[in-house]
Amino acid sequence: MSPNDGQATGAPASEGRMMRSLSDVIQDRGSAAVAADGSGADVGKGIQIRKLSAYYGTHQALENIDFDINPGVVTAIIGPSGCGKSTMIRCLNRMHEVIRGASVTGSVLVDGKDIYASDANPTRIRRNIGMVFQKPNPFPTRSIYENVITGLKLNLKRKSKREYDEVVEKSLRAVALWDEVKDKLHDSGTALSGGQQQRLCIARAIAIEPEILLLDEPASALDPTATMKIEDLLFELKTRYTIVLVTHNMQQAARASDITAFFIADERHVGHLVESGPTRQIFMTPSDKRTEDYISGRLG
Amino acid sequence: MQTRIHFVEELTRLNHDILTMGAKVEENFRKAIEALKTRDVELARDAKASDAVVDALQIKIEDQAAALIATQQPVAHDLRELVTVFKVTYNLERAGDHAMHLAKLAIKFKEEPAFRQVEKLDAMVERCCAMIRGAVDAYLNNDAPKAREVAAMDEEIDRLNKEVVKDVIELIRERPEQVDRATRLLSNSGFLERVGDHMTNICEAVVFMVEGEHVELNS
Repeated sequence: MSPNDGQATGAPASEGRMMRSLSDVIQDRGSAAVAADGSGADVGKGIQIRKLSAYYGTHQALENIDFDINPGVVTAIIGPSGCGKSTMIRCLNRMHEVIRGASVTGSVLVDGKDIYASDANPTRIRRNIGMVFQKPNPFPTRSIYENVITGLKLNLKRKSKREYDEVVEKSLRAVALWDEVKDKLHDSGTALSGGQQQRLCIARAIAIEPEILLLDEPASALDPTATMKIEDLLFELKTRYTIVLVTHNMQQAARASDITAFFIADERHVGHLVESGPTRQIFMTPSDKRTEDYISGRLG
Repeated sequence: MQTRIHFVEELTRLNHDILTMGAKVEENFRKAIEALKTRDVELARDAKASDAVVDALQIKIEDQAAALIATQQPVAHDLRELVTVFKVTYNLERAGDHAMHLAKLAIKFKEEPAFRQVEKLDAMVERCCAMIRGAVDAYLNNDAPKAREVAAMDEEIDRLNKEVVKDVIELIRERPEQVDRATRLLSNSGFLERVGDHMTNICEAVVFMVEGEHVELNS
């Protein structure tokens, strides 16, 4: 008898057939779970943040951050307004320094290499680390097709039409948008709904095959259905990219992330990391009272 | 600044119902043992019928807790507290069933002559009631040390149960015709022993609620 020939537990065993025990069921489910955990897949690159401080002119926004971001998981950064979480995420692809007067000290190691090293190339770093913003921002004068390949055209040597077609289909499929737009690829990207536009922006970010994907409040302007699609998408994408998600929405952090980091700024300190850990632990048994107060809606 | 006022108010209401449920179970035990001691069948019937109040409270409290989870999305201590609510109500309801069993015993034994084991059952009920009060108190006051203290009381109930078992075995040896009565006594002593275990479960849940750690008390 093969392991799947048995009856469902609870049903009477007919003559000559053995009833499967609950242990058998657990074993079968366990094997399926192991097979589905994405082990062995290329899961992006890890990030190590060391003694990172960030400034806007003389104003310090982040202080002495030490934090590891692992590949293959979604890391959520949460905290009250002004705690530096958006600054934090912008330091991970050298977008922070684009603001006039902004500066950074410390280091951010991606795959062991400091992106702030003197010989690092910010343009190349931004190419390898995709970013999605709060408000969907497709290029308004370009079609859906052109939106997806814009990054590729800017960053890399030209590809053939067939290669571009492949990238467009693959990227739109990855964000579950292909079926919805395949017949109107040359319509304007702004003709799509808000949720579709945001998925288009994610498709644009992953078209260049970044190693890391940074999302700054990607669902805050979307309705619950579109939000769920983005969260499901993160679940799919994390097997291929290192994902960092900044969110104001506690339930979204709880649902969509594996690791949560809580940042705060108070009277005594500028933005700093209070604690980080598995999301389940942060939301069930946080170590720090400030984390507990914030996630319970009793702070800020 | 106090925040989440609605959530806190709802939780306060729910905790008041838990207190009522605990008090009802305790009251049913007191009535049942009194009925057994005095052969008061009316009192026993009252205790038996009151179990329906306990059952209704369990449903009401669990519905309230489920609604709070669905609508307020509690996390951290708030979530642990609501998870604990389900454990408190489940274990109180089981204890309530055992109070009803004792009330049924009182009805069954209405014509029986006095027997010496009733004193020990009385002592067990006294300790069960102390554990019920203590466990509910530890839950309501978020008091892990108190929960540990209450769980330790289970040892005395276990000891009394062993004494009853010994007594009853002796009774069967001496008067084999009393086997029916003996087995009913044994069952009820066992039920009271289980009440101690149910209250220990509540105490373990309280420690988890307060400290976030799963503990095994009285292992």
